Amino acid sequence: MKHLAITAAVLALATPAFAEYPERAIEVTIPAPAGGGTDTSARKLATLLEEELGTSIAILNVAGGGGSVGVTQFMLQKPTGYSLLATWNSPITTVPQVQQTAYQPDSFTPIASTSETAYTLCVNPDFPADTGEAFLEELAANPGKYTYGNDGIGGTMQLAAERIFQSRGIEAVAIPFGGAGETLQNFLGGHVDIYGGSISPVLPYTETGEAKCLLVTSAAPVKALPQAAGLESLGLGDEETLLWRMVLGPAGMDADVVATLSAALEKTVNDPAYVEFLATKGEIPNVVTGAALTARVQGEYDALAKVAKALGLSQ
Amino acid sequence: MGLISEILGGVFAAGPIVAMIGASILGVFIGALPGLNPVMAIALLLPLTYSMEPLVALGMVAGIYNGSMYGGAIPAILLRIPGTPAAIATTFDGYPMAQKGEAARALKIACWSSAIGGVASAIALMTIGPILARATLYFGPAEYFWIAMFGMASIGVMVGSDAVKGLMAAALGLLLGTVGLDQLSGVARFTFGEVWLLSGLDLIVILVGLYALPPVISLAEASDIKGLSASDLKLEAVKVPWSEVRGLVPTWLRSSLIGIGVGILPGAGGNIAAFLSYNAAKSASDQPESFGTGNPQGVAAAECGNNSDNAASMIPALTLGIPGNVIAALVLGALLIHGLQPGPQLFHQNPGLVGGFMVQMLLTSLLILAVGGAAATRIFAQVQRLPGVLLVPMILVLMAVGVYVINGRVIDLWVMFAAGAAGYILEKINVPLAPIVLGLILGPMAEQSVRRALLISRGDPTELFTRPLSAVIALATLGLVLWPILKGLKARRRPQAQ
Repeated sequence: MKHLAITAAVLALATPAFAEYPERAIEVTIPAPAGGGTDTSARKLATLLEEELGTSIAILNVAGGGGSVGVTQFMLQKPTGYSLLATWNSPITTVPQVQQTAYQPDSFTPIASTSETAYTLCVNPDFPADTGEAFLEELAANPGKYTYGNDGIGGTMQLAAERIFQSRGIEAVAIPFGGAGETLQNFLGGHVDIYGGSISPVLPYTETGEAKCLLVTSAAPVKALPQAAGLESLGLGDEETLLWRMVLGPAGMDADVVATLSAALEKTVNDPAYVEFLATKGEIPNVVTGAALTARVQGEYDALAKVAKALGLSQ
Repeated sequence: MGLISEILGGVFAAGPIVAMIGASILGVFIGALPGLNPVMAIALLLPLTYSMEPLVALGMVAGIYNGSMYGGAIPAILLRIPGTPAAIATTFDGYPMAQKGEAARALKIACWSSAIGGVASAIALMTIGPILARATLYFGPAEYFWIAMFGMASIGVMVGSDAVKGLMAAALGLLLGTVGLDQLSGVARFTFGEVWLLSGLDLIVILVGLYALPPVISLAEASDIKGLSASDLKLEAVKVPWSEVRGLVPTWLRSSLIGIGVGILPGAGGNIAAFLSYNAAKSASDQPESFGTGNPQGVAAAECGNNSDNAASMIPALTLGIPGNVIAALVLGALLIHGLQPGPQLFHQNPGLVGGFMVQMLLTSLLILAVGGAAATRIFAQVQRLPGVLLVPMILVLMAVGVYVINGRVIDLWVMFAAGAAGYILEKINVPLAPIVLGLILGPMAEQSVRRALLISRGDPTELFTRPLSAVIALATLGLVLWPILKGLKARRRPQAQ
């Protein structure tokens, strides 16, 4: 009897993956404070995922350091499939450029990307340009004349803009703010010339005519901003930088567990209820899994490393 | 007429009413328990309301927000422990009043002042919100720099008897405020390679440690094992005479205006509103020396100031789509989840909902009178009867839980204890703590703003003085610094003339 128990215990320890996953609650770390964009996206997704997986999901918000605090803490988790990280791309691909982090993009098991949105550059209605091309030409012709507000020094938004500027030889003065809300306030008050940030806060002002959005940082144009050019049409398609969200696990996760989770995420992200929720935030679903996701993370990391280095921000 | 009935019909439905009343009671409790704060409570509860109708969620936010700003005053008055950072200024005169046996009177004044501040703020939100919001757009980095300097100049009023110690405390606050990733250069300052320090020291963690721990240690030192008997607890309904109420009216008016002004400008918040209101009341008083010894005006100013910040802080969020603080950001997040698009069109597209939320901010301010005056104050005042041996561990557990939940980090508990130990020692050697708080809050605001302003002006410092608005605030700051000096000179000349 005793032997049997020990054998069973040893077996159970040696072959955790053979058990039907998931058999207990999953903890999801969000490296951002409660209530922000990443948090609301992940919480909404978690409620749908709970149904799909038939287990409960506990959310743990660990804020700080532009996401690096939560991600670093997550590194201590074991790859059992019961600890996951729901993050936006910046802590993984941008923060390691400008901070000394204990992790690299390859320190995780990629599971699935979930949703994405582009950043946009907007000017006031009097700005002497009405198209994306004319906008870049005006900036190029006047080096150092225009100021653009962004989400923070070395943040994804700034690097996204600088990728475009550098490939066109543009010099604009970056004014870092605490977030898109602060940038928007200073843009509307005329304290900075160009709004740089996510689409949803500035969207209502394109309707009232107080903002003219001329560029988005995605290759394709964005439906909600008809005047803004996508990068593809400017011949800058390779310089796309998005704000996107993903679910990662600790390195070395079991392939079957990853497959179960990817499939569940693919289904829940494309659930009409979630797609509708994303639309209110100006985001669209885009599920990328497996090797393609690894390539997406690494490709963005490498491209942003080049920009950060050119700006003298690299660690 | 149709709009008003639509708004009132939405607000006076069963769900929103239950949400407002429940949340007001909960808010008072959250405010009264040190460590727990409204931001955390709203962030944790809001996701639970996503499936309900929006006015239930918004009623809950309004109740918790307004209730907690009053709730913070209860332990501030009874135990000298501010329940929320915004109640720090309430301890200055609230606790001395309680020591004089006027706890019930102080609580009553706090309750009425909170409600009045909240109502004034809600009225501002409903009537001149859009105008105020547009006015905030004139405030660029140069103006924000001067606002921070104006706040810091008020340290002069707060340093107490020993100016050198006060200034040293302010310098300590400024130093603590520099810790973390510099927002303008991306350089890590004083982080010693620690990742958790990159985002700086968490303000609430420091404030809970600095302000709540020293009184708890004092309680423990008293090693009281019996507690007060029911007869020692003077909580019979006290009448605040009409003459005294009339004396408080100017303070309420002044504090409401200050709170609304601080509220519409992002970055400061209820604690600064309370400090500035307290200072203004002290400066305007005939007996400034009676402040800090249990002057009801001090309690009224602080409590009215921190509540009148609330509804006003929603103005930029509801009219421009720009959240001025975390709670406003949470409200915008909730609106997004319900499929609403925050921005200048929000009210026009959803008048019933936005108007309803405004009415809820007003109603929950009035609910403070019912919830706070009748029920909560009486229940919480019983806390005074608990012996120290029970009270101390209970408060410590609550503080630890509250602080841990903010960022989900154990290290914050150590930061809290370190701040508490420092606060205890500083109090013993008569160093005032308020300047530390102001330095910690306003230092980063001043530094970032002035550097942003100089980035925008390409390094030209005249920009700080020549934009008309920046010049006005700069002159006001100068006036604030010179005012006590002039007053002192006048006072000195008068005896000579006689």
